[in-house]
Amino acid sequence: MKKFYSNKLAIVLFAFPALLVFTVMVFYPIVQAFVKSFYEWNGLGSGTFIGFDNYTKLFGDTVFKLSNKNALIFALVITVFQMTLASIFALVVSNKKVKGRNFLRVAYFIPVVLSVTVVCQLWLAILNADTGLLNAIFKALGINYEQNWLSDRHHAIYVIAFVNAWQWMGYQFALMMAGIKSIPNDYYEAARIDGASTLQAHSKVTIPLLKETYKICLTISLTGGVKAFTEMFIMTKGGPGNATYTLTYLMYKAAFREYRYGYGMASASILVIQCLVIILVINWLFRDKEDRRESRWSKKTGQVK
Amino acid sequence: MKRIMAFAMSIILCLFMFIGCSSKTEDETTPDTTSPSETTTESATETLPEGVLSNEEATLSIYAQYSDDDTKVPYDYAVEQLKTAYPNVTLNLEVQAQDDGQKLMTYAATGNLPDIYQVALAQIENFKQSGNIMVLNDVAEATGFKDKVFESAQNILYNEDGNIYAFPYAGNEYVMWYYNKAIFEKYNVEVPKTFDELLTAIDTFNSNGITPMAIFGSEGWITSAMFDVLATRWDAGGIAKLDNGEGSATEDAYVNAAKMMNTLVKAGMFQGSAPTTNYDQASQMFLNGEAAMFLNGQWYMTDATTALGQDVDWMYYPSYDEASYEAGKTAWSGGGAAAGYAVNPDSKHAQLAAEVAAFLSEKYCEAKVMYRGTPLVALDVDVEPQTEFPAMMQKLQADLPGITSITKFDWHLSNATFKTALEDQTKYLLVKDYTPEEVIKELDNSLN
Repeated sequence: MKKFYSNKLAIVLFAFPALLVFTVMVFYPIVQAFVKSFYEWNGLGSGTFIGFDNYTKLFGDTVFKLSNKNALIFALVITVFQMTLASIFALVVSNKKVKGRNFLRVAYFIPVVLSVTVVCQLWLAILNADTGLLNAIFKALGINYEQNWLSDRHHAIYVIAFVNAWQWMGYQFALMMAGIKSIPNDYYEAARIDGASTLQAHSKVTIPLLKETYKICLTISLTGGVKAFTEMFIMTKGGPGNATYTLTYLMYKAAFREYRYGYGMASASILVIQCLVIILVINWLFRDKEDRRESRWSKKTGQVK
Repeated sequence: MKRIMAFAMSIILCLFMFIGCSSKTEDETTPDTTSPSETTTESATETLPEGVLSNEEATLSIYAQYSDDDTKVPYDYAVEQLKTAYPNVTLNLEVQAQDDGQKLMTYAATGNLPDIYQVALAQIENFKQSGNIMVLNDVAEATGFKDKVFESAQNILYNEDGNIYAFPYAGNEYVMWYYNKAIFEKYNVEVPKTFDELLTAIDTFNSNGITPMAIFGSEGWITSAMFDVLATRWDAGGIAKLDNGEGSATEDAYVNAAKMMNTLVKAGMFQGSAPTTNYDQASQMFLNGEAAMFLNGQWYMTDATTALGQDVDWMYYPSYDEASYEAGKTAWSGGGAAAGYAVNPDSKHAQLAAEVAAFLSEKYCEAKVMYRGTPLVALDVDVEPQTEFPAMMQKLQADLPGITSITKFDWHLSNATFKTALEDQTKYLLVKDYTPEEVIKELDNSLN
């Protein structure tokens, strides 16, 4: 096997198809987006080079600021909601004493397999200010809390984030279930012998060993939140006004509604950078103790171990 | 041995990948509606019918709306007529996607534009710069299309630069303020002439559980139309004036319009879920008698009459006082634009495609008059409607000669940035806690 890995030609040949697809379908478009962000371009022809003008305009655009704020809110809401609930549900369902575990496992995952459009239409019906189920429940209970859920300029983004969180919580739940199942039973037996309660066993064994799973979940929900688009496109069309815009929606508006592709590409470039920064920060936060020790060692000695 | 295996597997993987990515061979390919044209055989020269300039045989690809009766009936009629006038031409229809023109843009960017395509004004401006649209001046002259255009519709034939880029079929259209006469009578509400009377009517309807006006606020064009209707009460130029770069959003007319719309929203003129209500939902509210008023184009008259019979009518737009109400009866929101059937200049049969486009537009006009109950078409066509026009249309027809000014529908605006801002900001006006000042500021930004 060692000999096989030392064969550079084989490595190149095996990696080539995947690399080619990645380069053509992912890397080249990203580079093109960065390049075109320096152009005034209507999507046709070659455009005019305008340097950083698109970025200057973008940073002065009030909608850009609003979009970033919304993306942050969206990302935080779905991260907190999904990771908290997914963790609790996964820990509960993994307990063999809990009755109806199989049913719960399927029930939590059902929204994931539904189409986003179906989910959005479902919630549009529930959240309708005039005929929606939610307001009808409040009315029936005599609680004076009827709201224009999706028409409130300050709160609509939270409602849309909730819809996304509701749908994709099951995905994080499945990842965590898989993570929990991969933990050897011996650890729990050892904890039980040491007198640990179920709660202590989870806090000292399960959660620390799910670190890598949490890292993946956090990456998915934070980057997913920052580049959110579908829910606002279907449910509010970015509205009311532009109250539920995100950077992706801003890019869509600039490129496809205003034919300002260069400006849209500038917005897309910022989005790519934001996602990369998020991934780097998460990787840094989740570094292993060993990695940290290694980094300290190399700092002290200037050598790599 | 391992090296040979690795090499062989890599080659196989690459082969599979390329096979998977490759397109079908020509023999397997089904007729492709997106390819410019397929057959090119010159048929023998023979006497051509009047107005027909070419008898070249060809299959032309066409990208057109074909989704409801208003688009299907004219298209089917035009194709049927084409068979007689141009037996040498076969059309391959690709149904237009409702996607803000993205598919058409992609076709243009990749050099795959259909031979004939329906185009909006904002796209014409883009395509002009990139050479994706044919100048049709000569064809309009040669086919006699130009002579058939109504005098009042000359504005929708020529582009700003004086050229013809598309053969229009829709004439100038109008934003109509519909109301349910039965509901007004039931609650003893007079048709409002002034905003004060309108506010009183809103109050009466709300206290009786009737939505004063249903609006499909999920679509930006209707909120833009509402804003335009109000703005024309102070300045007949409306949003067209801003689009043409002849005014500023900070002018009194637009500030007053934003303030008035905000006042009406706060008074409860629209349903609570207005910003997310779609067309079907809003229309149903009006047709079911849940809403007393409805804003839409004149094309809605047939549907409204079918559902409500004599109970439906339209009113002149209310204004800030009775004098301006009377004066404003001749200033309308709506309009037309130099848009319609355009031709791909790189088509193998560009000249023939242009002729066919002109022919189709003319036949669309005929079909609209005969079968769709509207005389508001671009061309003066010599046909009679199959059934009498609805009473509301007859009333409008009587007013048409007196109309002194008309603005633009949102989709006819040529400044795409202003159009987007207008849609977003007027949708914002449906929200109670958004201020008119914010709307004006953003509209002004989009124009600078």
